[in-house]
Amino acid sequence: MRKGTRLRLALRDLGSGFAFASMAVSGQLPIWSLVLYGVALVVALAGRRPFSNRVKLTALLLLAVALTLGTNVLAGSLNLVVAACAFAGLISAQRLLSTPDATTDGQVHLSGLLMVAGGAALSGELVYGLFLIVFGVLASIALALGVVESAVPEGEPVPVRAVMGPLATGVGFAVVGAVAFFVLFPRLNWNMIGPSASPGLGVATAGFSNTVRLGGAGTIKGNPRIVLRATLSPDPEKDALDAYWLGRTYDVFDGQEWSSARTTSDGAGFMTTLRPGRENLVHQRVELMPAYGARTLVAMETPSRLGNAVTNTRQGSRRTQIEERGGGEVRFRDAGISYSYEAYSLPPGASGDDVQDLPPEEQDALLALPEGLDVRVAQTAARVLNGERDPLAAARKLSAWLQREYSYTLELSGDVPDPVADFLFQRKQGHCEHFATALTLMLRTQGMRARLATGFFGGERVTGGYVVRAGDAHAWTHVLVPGRGFITVDATPPAHRASQSPRLLEQLINFYEVVESQWRDVVLDYNFRDQLTVLRSLSRSHEVPKKDEPPGRAPPPRAFGAALLAAAAAYAAWRLLTRFLSRERPLEATRFADAVEAQLTSARITRGEGETLEALDARLARERHPLAPALAPVTRRYLEARFGGRPLLQGEATRLLADLRRAVLTQTQRGAREGTRPPQARAS
Amino acid sequence: MKSRLPSWWARVRSRLRPPRTLKVTRIGRTYLVVTFGVGLGALNTGNNLLYLLLGLLLSMVVVSGVLSERCLRYLSVRRVGADAAFAQEPFAFRWALSRGHGHAFALTLSETGSPLTGTGGVGYLPAGVEHVVRADLTAPQRGPVLLTGVRVTTTWPLGLFAKTRTFPLESTLLVYPRRTYACQDPGAPEQGPVGDAGNPRRNDGNGDLSGLRELAPGEDARRIHWMKSASAGKLLRVEREREERRTFMLTVADGLDAEALERRCEEVAALAHRLIEEGHEVGLDTPEERLRPAAGTAQERRLLRVLAWLGHARPRGDEEAA
Repeated sequence: MRKGTRLRLALRDLGSGFAFASMAVSGQLPIWSLVLYGVALVVALAGRRPFSNRVKLTALLLLAVALTLGTNVLAGSLNLVVAACAFAGLISAQRLLSTPDATTDGQVHLSGLLMVAGGAALSGELVYGLFLIVFGVLASIALALGVVESAVPEGEPVPVRAVMGPLATGVGFAVVGAVAFFVLFPRLNWNMIGPSASPGLGVATAGFSNTVRLGGAGTIKGNPRIVLRATLSPDPEKDALDAYWLGRTYDVFDGQEWSSARTTSDGAGFMTTLRPGRENLVHQRVELMPAYGARTLVAMETPSRLGNAVTNTRQGSRRTQIEERGGGEVRFRDAGISYSYEAYSLPPGASGDDVQDLPPEEQDALLALPEGLDVRVAQTAARVLNGERDPLAAARKLSAWLQREYSYTLELSGDVPDPVADFLFQRKQGHCEHFATALTLMLRTQGMRARLATGFFGGERVTGGYVVRAGDAHAWTHVLVPGRGFITVDATPPAHRASQSPRLLEQLINFYEVVESQWRDVVLDYNFRDQLTVLRSLSRSHEVPKKDEPPGRAPPPRAFGAALLAAAAAYAAWRLLTRFLSRERPLEATRFADAVEAQLTSARITRGEGETLEALDARLARERHPLAPALAPVTRRYLEARFGGRPLLQGEATRLLADLRRAVLTQTQRGAREGTRPPQARAS
Repeated sequence: MKSRLPSWWARVRSRLRPPRTLKVTRIGRTYLVVTFGVGLGALNTGNNLLYLLLGLLLSMVVVSGVLSERCLRYLSVRRVGADAAFAQEPFAFRWALSRGHGHAFALTLSETGSPLTGTGGVGYLPAGVEHVVRADLTAPQRGPVLLTGVRVTTTWPLGLFAKTRTFPLESTLLVYPRRTYACQDPGAPEQGPVGDAGNPRRNDGNGDLSGLRELAPGEDARRIHWMKSASAGKLLRVEREREERRTFMLTVADGLDAEALERRCEEVAALAHRLIEEGHEVGLDTPEERLRPAAGTAQERRLLRVLAWLGHARPRGDEEAA
């Protein structure tokens, strides 16, 4: 196998691999198809083609796979598009392992094309765009090498290096053309099938449940995946928001786990008002990512209204209803991969709730203690409070004491009979749920109403909005202060409230988030309105500048357009000029010969009657004339230009004549130094 | 006979003739179908990624057209020709290809407007170098083949489309009769008082001594080795190595129909080849021309040329590429 062929096959296989990866990033393909394709790719990259002599057998296997996929589709366990994509991947795998010939190559490339088209239908990930470009580049190079290789006679090497230059230019122009098409092609779609969402890779980790159990195993504090994106209005413009994002509250503790006293739903609607709004509400446009994995709406403390929810599923996006449940939890009615909605929250401070506003069962639950609670809990609370009866002051006093006396750890205790006592009197270390539970129960032992709240703490600023990570999941305490409502008191040490994931990893994910945000804005959400904006910005602006507004320093977009046109015109003029200067001039060789003859005459070398330049050159070489070495290349180029169909290039005549002139000058000076007459060629 | 078209019509036709012809390859057809499908999907779903993919696919089509056009520009072709072209068997044919500036890739050359089949290819053609492209062409039948132009095709860069440029280059290729096996005997060699062929001694051999044998009745008495005969008591004759060079005159009769003429030409060509290979002198007598007997490859070439032109109108200049 030729060197170029090996390279071409490797590029072909890698291109197919990236095409498959563009589907795989959606996280929807069956695991077994990922494994099969991965094995096939590795074997193909190792240069082995085990299916070469087993075409019929492997075709039967493919048929069996198709039947399996079809059965799954009919049974409803697999989406039709996903099944088609998986089958395209397996066809590609089968082709990768077959004998590499022109037909197989074409089938591998075309299955790759189908796979990237399938990837576009399955996912909108940023890496999809990356894989699409890499597939385009690799497949183009492999195709071009194949085209050249088919024209190169057997035994000759494939000119790989020569192919790369023009092809790179072509691919570059293709990418620019694709962008231009993307920007300008009108977005007038039929909308028979809406855009779909994909769960992406990885497992959803930040879910809410109906109960919170202390102890157990596992942690999400080190998980940097982004679960929530929010745009706030008014924008606080802070890098670290350090806000509490409330998911739901719990008011009943049975000694092991928290639950809600009320489990009934208030009915569904497109908008839910949790508590009456006041002035200065904070508006949030929230997007819950596939990594979130729950149906509970989250809003900044303290949520007032939630609604306008949209659920994104594999079949498309649609508006969905929401329903209020126990514990102030608001849930999406329909399950989806990701969600978006709007929320309004009260400005930081108290919630304004009155105990009488709560349902009766919740009022009672706020003071309920689990049976068999260790008596030391109440004794300790009383000792720490030392007679303090104001709920907020007491909560803050207990919170400060807990933060001072107890340490934070992510190492869980496991299942123990009394996790609160274990935390307070045995281990004396725990995580946010231990701190929040301890504070809540200690307050209740002293007759103060309190409940456990769960959600997220944090919010990092990324591209004008805020993101919350899975590791920001948090629990804290709501203390009911008469006349003010529930007030947040957090017993967890401040340094351990937010995500505990490595800083470098967080920065990398932030960078990815920035790029992905651009990708979303510029590519995924690009629509007809954006097109109109682009076109309007290219045309003359009709806006009348305000009197007080200082003139903008940046040039208007039309200036960029004009500059672009001027650059294109200059390029076209340059090309025309270059072509004009490099045109073939029939008499150029003759003029060149005349100039050579003039220089030879100045060196006192005369040509005999009918003696051609070629004959003169041969004669000088025979006579070992000093000018013969300088004249030889000039003569050769003259003959090539005059008779050989190789015209003189631009500037070549000047260079050759300059070399000859230099040689003549050197020869003349040498003759003058020696005081003799320069050698004179005989006229023959 | 062709009707002579008015010159203005020829000019109009030449103006209307596209400078390049484009043909979609097999993989290109599938590519276009997939592109169409992606376009439908994009229009249907409004999925921007499908629009992006569609833009990339369409851009590759445009880039493919531009790169292939750059490949076919600044090319010049010269027909080098063939050493000998025999009907119905591949023969080596050559073109010289050069380029003013820039590179060219994956060029395939063939003769346009002629019954010659076969192509030659060059993978990479740098600027300023004359590259001789060899092809194994096949002509279906004997006779002069009018070559009107050279067709240069490229599938560069992606193999989706085959773009062709035709260089008008007129010439004639003379295709000799098919080389076949001569079933018939060439007939008796010519006898007569002309050169060695007329000398009866030539039939008994006049080379080196190869042996002695008893004289048979009617044999030339001048071949008797008298001393050996005297010692042996019977007439022994000398055997010498014979010179096999004879003179044959092959003929193509007048009035043969087209098929019979073809068959006869092939037969005569085969006979001539065999006889000349054996060292004989071969001449040819046809209704149009008579070729004097001679030996050697040059004579064989002359015979083939006469046979190739047989039944065809020979131009005055007798120009040919081969």
